[in-house]
Amino acid sequence: MDFQIDPADEALRVEVREFLRTHLPADLAQRGASGFHPLRADQRRWQRILFERGWGAPNWPTEFGGTGWSHLRQFIFDEECALAGAPVTDHGGLRMFGPVIYTYASSELKARLLPAILRGELFWGQGFSEPNAGSDLAALRTRAERDGDHYIVNGQKIWTTGAHTCDVIGCLVKTNPEAKQRGISFLCIDPQSPGISIRPIIDIGEGYSLNEVFFDNVRVPVDNLLGEENMGWTYAKAVLENERATSAEVPLNKRKLAQLREIVQRECSNGERVIDLPGFAQRVAQLEVDLRALEWLTLRALTEKSGGTSLPYGSLLKVRGSELLQRIGEMTVEALGQYGLYVYAEPEENTITAWPMGPDYAPGVTADFMYRRAATIYGGANEVQRTIIARSFLEL
Amino acid sequence: MNFNLTEEQHMLSDSVRRFLENECGLATGRDNKSSDQWAKIAELGWLAIPLPESVGGLGGGAVETTLIMEEFGRVLAVEPFCAIGVVAAQLILAADSRQAEVLLPQLIAGNFRPIVAHHEHEARGVIEHVSLQANAHGDKWLLSGRKSLVVGANAANRFIVSARTDGDLRDRAGITLFSIACNAPGLQQNNIRLIDNRWAAELIFDNVEVSAMNVLGEVGEGYRAIDHAYAHGLLAQCAEAVGVMEQALWITRDYIKTRKQFGVALNTFQALQHRMAEMLIELELARSVVYRSLAFIDAPTDERNAALSLAKIKIGQAVRFVCGQAIQLHGGIGVTEEYSIGHYFKRAMTIENELGSSHFHLAQLADLELRKSVAWVRE
Ligand SMILES: Cc1cc2nc3c(=O)[nH]c(=O)nc-3n(C[C@H](O)[C@H](O)[C@H](O)COP(=O)(O)OP(=O)(O)OC[C@H]3O[C@@H](n4cnc5c(N)ncnc54)[C@H](O)[C@@H]3O)c2cc1C
Repeated sequence: MDFQIDPADEALRVEVREFLRTHLPADLAQRGASGFHPLRADQRRWQRILFERGWGAPNWPTEFGGTGWSHLRQFIFDEECALAGAPVTDHGGLRMFGPVIYTYASSELKARLLPAILRGELFWGQGFSEPNAGSDLAALRTRAERDGDHYIVNGQKIWTTGAHTCDVIGCLVKTNPEAKQRGISFLCIDPQSPGISIRPIIDIGEGYSLNEVFFDNVRVPVDNLLGEENMGWTYAKAVLENERATSAEVPLNKRKLAQLREIVQRECSNGERVIDLPGFAQRVAQLEVDLRALEWLTLRALTEKSGGTSLPYGSLLKVRGSELLQRIGEMTVEALGQYGLYVYAEPEENTITAWPMGPDYAPGVTADFMYRRAATIYGGANEVQRTIIARSFLEL
Repeated sequence: MNFNLTEEQHMLSDSVRRFLENECGLATGRDNKSSDQWAKIAELGWLAIPLPESVGGLGGGAVETTLIMEEFGRVLAVEPFCAIGVVAAQLILAADSRQAEVLLPQLIAGNFRPIVAHHEHEARGVIEHVSLQANAHGDKWLLSGRKSLVVGANAANRFIVSARTDGDLRDRAGITLFSIACNAPGLQQNNIRLIDNRWAAELIFDNVEVSAMNVLGEVGEGYRAIDHAYAHGLLAQCAEAVGVMEQALWITRDYIKTRKQFGVALNTFQALQHRMAEMLIELELARSVVYRSLAFIDAPTDERNAALSLAKIKIGQAVRFVCGQAIQLHGGIGVTEEYSIGHYFKRAMTIENELGSSHFHLAQLADLELRKSVAWVRE
């Protein structure tokens, strides 16, 4: 056992921090730290900057243009980026679909898609969920039928984050309606294709990131199939496996806790800082306890060799990480006093100037808190995660 | 003891519910026009019900107020019944019995819509926190400072403002109440929508002139009336929370009976059955502390305020749990603005963070515990 982080890994932290200090544009950081949904234009700019530094894909192997970093280094990188308020990078392209592409796709698709993802020219939507296929994802019904060198796609996706601004939607579609999981394929669909319509869904933070996507006889070239037909479910599971060590969102939780600390020091009551009011410091300390425990469970997951009778880390981390995000948010809203109750409209620009009322750290806090009610729902609802823990590990 | 409603009280609940379900509700708050439902609400007599006959009321009391407020919570109505019919009415009643006889009949008729401007940002639940200054200037007063989270200000045709005429920031003595026109020169009103679709305002006073005639009650003696009014407001809000929770619970119950995943309705999953059972437990505990507060509402102020703090703590915890889990059990649909259940959670959050959060009130009770223990050591 060795409980220290390797000095070489710590050196990377210093390097990343310095890079962020000099290369992260202030306007991007302001939006990134605000709690409002990220703007696609910001994400594109930031991805380009990272690409030029050679850090376009922290989680990919070097042969595809990635950094080849260990899980731990990726985590250090994510943590520094989050703390600096960098825009979130393209989760779909980098984390979910990229690995599927370099592992399973044809060399033609690899050459077409991977460099574009790296350069920030190809952002992905994740078209998995459907109205009747949420927790029971395998019940999806969107149909792709072969017609010469095209698939004809009909059906509907829902909750598709960023469908309105992405360049491609990675969809799970049914290519064999007879089989359940075995009849599912991964198809890349251009959201501009004729026959696609996109309807916005506004979330309870009054923000816009979610969509319904309707497919009406949409023609998709057969070349856009990822890997083999009817293997989509296997790939999707592999993708989710990639996620397992990061599902507590420790970097995001750290940034949120840092923001809470700032607010309880800057907000005052009768000459005292809010942190000095009864109970506040204890509650922040409790959040710190829970965050640190999660951090170290994450470190265990990150450094564990794959295989073996591993804990279902992803589920353990997802349950508590999402709950923590909500608890930090709730306390931050309270710390803001009345400003936590105001509706600050989601701005269309990244630089947020004159707000009608309140301090500059208030806008976005409550919008994010509201949106994060979904943290215990998206990415596999917590009830489903608990069932996974009970069944797969405890064998109940 | 008897926790059953009388026939009249049942009828009141039913008629309030019917009216609110048909005429008010979620969507009505998005723009900041004052509600045209107010005349109807006055006509229905709800404003008269809790007030004494001496001011033109029907002689009901806090019980009737809680019944009405529970129905407001159920439909998430945004009409400022609590702000005008409870807080302002009780403030006037307690502050100045002579003026009450003149003003409250007009309030009951719906023509007089006073909104109390008392809260200031740094108060954080402390009622005696008043920094807004009133300086004597001949036979007039000049008011300068800020009030915020003045809920319902968009519906007001008069503000009742608490101002400091003497003493330090958190002294109970030296607070005076002034009645002010909404368009008084020097008064700036910035409206803002709250997350639960009610509207509030920040009021900025820059040497606003008020004549001595418009002092409510005695100079420097306003605290007692504010404390009384806020106590009734807090109780009303707790009752509202019960309505919010109850409706959120049943909406969720109905939803999970119809939503199917894995080939079965969600309600067949024991994990969700247990969650809903927990929600019901919290709801009924919350309702019980509202009843308990009703038992204390006319008690000496220390006892009354302790009971109200206790209620606010339990209510704040329960309403966040019940409404948060109501979203959770809905899945994705629960976090959409278009569907109802998220709005119950948003009202829950405003209830929790108005009039002192549950953590603020817990600190109040903790303080009482310390004082008790000091007394015990002395004995
Ligand atoms: C903000 C947000 C962003 C999202 N982004 C995307 C995206 O980009 N792409 C995409 O494809 N999807 C996305 N999703 C969809 C997300 O994956 C689903 O919402 C999630 O899988 C839950 O499905 P559902 O909403 O249909 O809820 P349901 O499956 O109907 O679940 C409702 C409730 O029942 C519980 N439940 C369900 N089954 C069981 C069971 N067997 N035992 C016990 N409890 C159970 C759930 O835990 C939940 O509490 C997003 C969702 C949200 C809210």
